[in-house]
Amino acid sequence: MAKQYDVLFRLLLIGDSGVGKTCLLCRFTDNEFHSSHISTIGVDFKMKTIEVDGIKVRIQIWDTAGQERYQTITKQYYRRAQGIFLVYDISSERSYQHIMKWVSDVDEYAPEGVQKILIGNKADEEQKRQVGREQGQQLAKEYGMDFYETSACTNLNIKESFTRLTELVLQAHRKELDGVRTRASKELALAELEEDESRPEGPVNSSKTCWC
Amino acid sequence: MAAENSKQFWKRSAKLPGSIQPVYGAQHPPLDPRLTKNFIKERSKVNAVPLKNKKASSFHEFARNTSDAWDIGDDEEEDFSPPSFQTLNSKVALATAAQVLENHSKLRVKPERSQSTTSDIPANYVIKSSSDAQLSRNSSDSCLRNALHKQQSLPLRPIIPLVARISDQNASGAPPMTVREKTRLEKFRQLLSSHNTDLDELRKCSWPGVPREVRPVTWRLLSGYLPANTERRKPTLQRKREEYFGFIEQYYDSRNEEHHQDTYRQIFERILFIWAIRHPASGYVQGINDLVTPFFVVFLSEHVEEDVENFDVTNLSQDVLRSIEADSFWCMSKLLDGIQDNYTFAQPGIQKKVKALEELVSRIDEQVHNHFRRYEVEYLQFAFRWMNNLLMRELPLRCTIRLWDTYQSEPEGFSHFHLYVCAAFLIKWRKEILDEEDFQGLLMLLQNLPTIHWGNEEIGLLLAEAYRLKYMFADAPNHYRR
Repeated sequence: MAKQYDVLFRLLLIGDSGVGKTCLLCRFTDNEFHSSHISTIGVDFKMKTIEVDGIKVRIQIWDTAGQERYQTITKQYYRRAQGIFLVYDISSERSYQHIMKWVSDVDEYAPEGVQKILIGNKADEEQKRQVGREQGQQLAKEYGMDFYETSACTNLNIKESFTRLTELVLQAHRKELDGVRTRASKELALAELEEDESRPEGPVNSSKTCWC
Repeated sequence: MAAENSKQFWKRSAKLPGSIQPVYGAQHPPLDPRLTKNFIKERSKVNAVPLKNKKASSFHEFARNTSDAWDIGDDEEEDFSPPSFQTLNSKVALATAAQVLENHSKLRVKPERSQSTTSDIPANYVIKSSSDAQLSRNSSDSCLRNALHKQQSLPLRPIIPLVARISDQNASGAPPMTVREKTRLEKFRQLLSSHNTDLDELRKCSWPGVPREVRPVTWRLLSGYLPANTERRKPTLQRKREEYFGFIEQYYDSRNEEHHQDTYRQIFERILFIWAIRHPASGYVQGINDLVTPFFVVFLSEHVEEDVENFDVTNLSQDVLRSIEADSFWCMSKLLDGIQDNYTFAQPGIQKKVKALEELVSRIDEQVHNHFRRYEVEYLQFAFRWMNNLLMRELPLRCTIRLWDTYQSEPEGFSHFHLYVCAAFLIKWRKEILDEEDFQGLLMLLQNLPTIHWGNEEIGLLLAEAYRLKYMFADAPNHYRR
């Protein structure tokens, strides 16, 4: 039976309520967009398998409620994430300023080495823009993150940003991945496999890898 | 027997799990009814389909066994339908279903009527005084937003307008009124018009569902908003409504503002805003907005006879609209009083109930419980929303309304009995759950349970099972206790 994916990991979407986290996700997984706002309660879940660098990656994406009251719940999801989207809305200065707070939450609750990416969503709302593109870039630079302006509405940079974060997570786990990569290219010799399996700390013994 | 029946029965739900669903009650104004009203009409036919006798018998069998809450026994509708009726019905149903699908797919292409965009929190001034950082946005016209605003194409669940489903609200779920229903309605009328309404008796009668015609006044009584004494009702209503609009004047005076309009959205905003400032410990929490909807829709139904579906609230007189708004506010407040710890800091009420659910399920269905453990599914991952929104996001609105008939008749219905309903709800899907063999599949299923076709019958069964669980576990010393 063909394996469905080579590796599995978890991404998390965080940011203020109403910035478009759910819309980003819907656009990415189902290529749909709905302009009406239906608030996420607690945490929603979706997944998608994409291929990056010849590796089939299944990503579980946790979409969190942005409202402050839910943070006791949503913080519980940080520790198992390998990648995090920090999302603000370019038409809301306030959501941009709150990124600082979201970053400090990540520092506190997410595992070390978690990959982060900054997203300024609703890039289509040019007339309502309150946060300049360069402000986004600067903030991202400050925190050492990649930055994208996206629009779930016009499908701008959606795939790109999800792919980018996936790449970053893959890179961060390059060592564990080498095994998978070899296998994916079917050049794996039996001897290597045995060696692989005998390696005590080698985490990649099955075709499915999960860093959690 | 009963178990077997229900297994078969739940199989009907063939819808695949997956992705975001439209949420009943989360959107105001309701989605364009014109697009889906045919669907509703057809649907009631579709619903009247197979297994009816079996279900009904198992349900009534159960009802008979569970004595007191069910004693009126006049809700047994179609026990007598001849077998040939069933075959006919399923043919009709198939044809109808095909038609519905066709209609539905046509509708999806039509452009939608302009509709003010929703946001589930009041406008900016609300934010200042509540602790929430919700960004309210009147979202935009730019780009494709409107063009793309085609709720009808949301996956899996055809959208059924909120108010349209009122027509589905007979106690039995069957549109034409049977003799039994008439008797039942008569009984309600008697109770309601007696000088001092016997509230215990009213609760008893309401437990198996309140007839649509008397639901508004029954709900006002059951929630404790309206006094049992008929003479005191009118002055009480008047006083409470004035009191509410006193709050509005004091805290939310937008009447003179240029854009003032009594749209659904604005009415909901005011209700939520006033509630939030009066309850600073909790403030506005997303999800509370959903809880206004059933009241609003039920009270609206009192003024809009047949054509609730095409209804534009601005057609109502100011007075009527104000009374609907004030009554919704007070009844929602009464409801929230009982579950306020669901929405205070760290949401202890919800955490406690999710734990209790886990405990309960581990006792009543070890297999399901172990299945979750095996695949590392945590109850919080799906049941949080069940508690936070009282299952409203898992069920069509008509079902929520029926469910609330019972919640308001059952002592601590919203705060305690709901737990057993959640357990029964979970177990209803045991087969589907056990069929899923990985974490993702399980979570996708649990977050998107296929209840689109549900109506009063399904809720009746669910409540019966919940009642059984409560009965069993409340008296067993080693079983779940509060």
